[in-house]
Amino acid sequence: MGFFVNIVGRVRSMVNERETEENPFKPPTQPLYAPTDPPISAKIFLPSASGDPLLLGQDDTIFKSAELTNRARQILQKLQEVPQLDAIVPPLPKDTKIQDLFISEQGTAFIDFSNTIATGHPGGVLNEMATIYSIVDSLTYNIPEIKQVKILVGGVEKETLAGHCLLLLPLEMDLSITNVMPREEKTALLK
Amino acid sequence: MFIFGGLIRAADANFPIYFPNSKVVVKAETFNRVTYLPLKEIIEHMGLPYTDALALETLTIRSGNNRLVVTKNSALISYNDQIVLLPNPILREDGRWLVPLEFLTTGLTRLTGTEFRYRPGTSRIFADNVDAPELEMNAQTLGPITRLTIRCGAALKLDVKRDDQRAVVSIDHAPVDPARERLDLRDRLLRSVAFDDSNGEPKILLEITRDVADVRITPAENNRIFFVDLLRRGEPITEAVPPSLDAPATSPKPDTAPVERRVRVIVIDPGHGGMDVGTHNATFSEKDITLVLARKLRSALQMRLGTTVLLTRDSDIALDNEARSAVANNNQANLFISLHTGYSANKLDSGSSIFVMTENFGNAFTTTGTARDQLFLPWYLGYRIHRQGSTAAAAIFQEELSKAIPGWKFPVRTAPLAVLSSATMPSLLLEIGNLNNAMASQTLMDNAFQTRLAGTIADAVQRFSESPQAAAN
Repeated sequence: MGFFVNIVGRVRSMVNERETEENPFKPPTQPLYAPTDPPISAKIFLPSASGDPLLLGQDDTIFKSAELTNRARQILQKLQEVPQLDAIVPPLPKDTKIQDLFISEQGTAFIDFSNTIATGHPGGVLNEMATIYSIVDSLTYNIPEIKQVKILVGGVEKETLAGHCLLLLPLEMDLSITNVMPREEKTALLK
Repeated sequence: MFIFGGLIRAADANFPIYFPNSKVVVKAETFNRVTYLPLKEIIEHMGLPYTDALALETLTIRSGNNRLVVTKNSALISYNDQIVLLPNPILREDGRWLVPLEFLTTGLTRLTGTEFRYRPGTSRIFADNVDAPELEMNAQTLGPITRLTIRCGAALKLDVKRDDQRAVVSIDHAPVDPARERLDLRDRLLRSVAFDDSNGEPKILLEITRDVADVRITPAENNRIFFVDLLRRGEPITEAVPPSLDAPATSPKPDTAPVERRVRVIVIDPGHGGMDVGTHNATFSEKDITLVLARKLRSALQMRLGTTVLLTRDSDIALDNEARSAVANNNQANLFISLHTGYSANKLDSGSSIFVMTENFGNAFTTTGTARDQLFLPWYLGYRIHRQGSTAAAAIFQEELSKAIPGWKFPVRTAPLAVLSSATMPSLLLEIGNLNNAMASQTLMDNAFQTRLAGTIADAVQRFSESPQAAAN
């Protein structure tokens, strides 16, 4: 009888320990930068509460890690950590996780977000644009090697995040919805 | 509007039915947004014998050996024992048999062979081959005068009577078939122009201002074209532009040419649906609001323009974005409007926007892709064919909506929208209101506001329809 109970207990614990989105497999955490990596300034694009412009460029600092993916992860971490402020709205739904990130030779960053980015999204075209372009603009503006961004949800391609913006093609930087000038225009003005 | 026997009843209206040698004006009643006509008055006018069986609650109409039976509160009618289904039930109120408009074509045409013609949004019916020449009206401000041009397929005789605020242009030919029921021009001399034949006598009603000194009618082209000129008080009458078909170079030609309406098929897409509720608050869901708005807009457009209006969904079902634009593509629509509501984190924001497709969306994929990529070119670039038309439509929508709904802003924005990306006609997405704003969401659910909004969008569609950008389609 005791053996039977033990078997049931083991099966139960195996079921509970199943790899799920809430309880994913966690590889040992690798640091995103080395202690010797120098700090560099970064512009993080965050949704404005007023909606005009849609995104506000905020100055921040990241570390210049050798791996581009680690630099990209640091930027995405900044987006995950945004609190609700008067002028700024968090760009990602609460508890959104980055499951995977890699950059192709052609300069496309593929980011696999957990399903929460879609299921926890409040909806609305502008909100959806703000979420998507805070990711796209923050990555492409700070890491010139990233030319475009492809967003995956829950490990697969999704047509849209909340029913509006097409995610089937990689998206390029769009600064027209921000308060930041493109780098080349800014340089031309300074000259 | 008041509740009447469980049915929502709207105001009654006169409804003339023109037969080749006679006419009958009946009083139409609207229940639950369906127009009903009194059956007995029509069949009595047509000289058809009938039996009204009170106990059985049926009415039997005969014509020769044929027999048509209708039953109270039933959409099923029996023609020679063959069952025919109407879209709405037949009613019997206060001893009056009331039939939906479709009964004429589905029931009476079978019984008598008489064909009935009805244009949605109008309030008249033409039976058989009754001579009803088309009548077109166009109004224009021309310096010191305002001119109403009336063009008809048959020679007419017009007469005008006026007082301080109204001029009535009576038409001696009944019936006529007006292409437009009313005109929108409103200037210093003119307030409104409306066609009216509610008593079976066609006439044009002009609401005029006190600045009008005189109203003159000048015929042209053997009485097939008439210029009704409103002359301003204090202006020398001799300076009025002489009516002529060979208009001077300074006078815009369209005054004498019929307004060509280029938008013939419109597809309206109520956003979201089914499991996909869209944005929502404690009370309302986006999918429900967009469906209500789409239905209202369909009625407004049919009434105003007489165009074919299709909805991508007419019930609470889920559809993917490609299927929505496919409805527009497959029906060769001239305009595609996707309706949505917004949700802004800012509770004070009214949150409305007019979206068109991002200009260079998909560029990188098509211009830098390898030959292999080109083989797998996806169909997300259909929007490019009419992006200019979409931008023009958006500008017109912005102007009309901002004018009609003060306090709400309607900025034109661009976005890579899935529902617009493969639509091969001028297309836009309207995001109206903010469901996170209590007042805005209450306003959105208000019936009067919805009607006003639908009317304003119909105005914008009408303007776009007459613009050169619509012709490019």
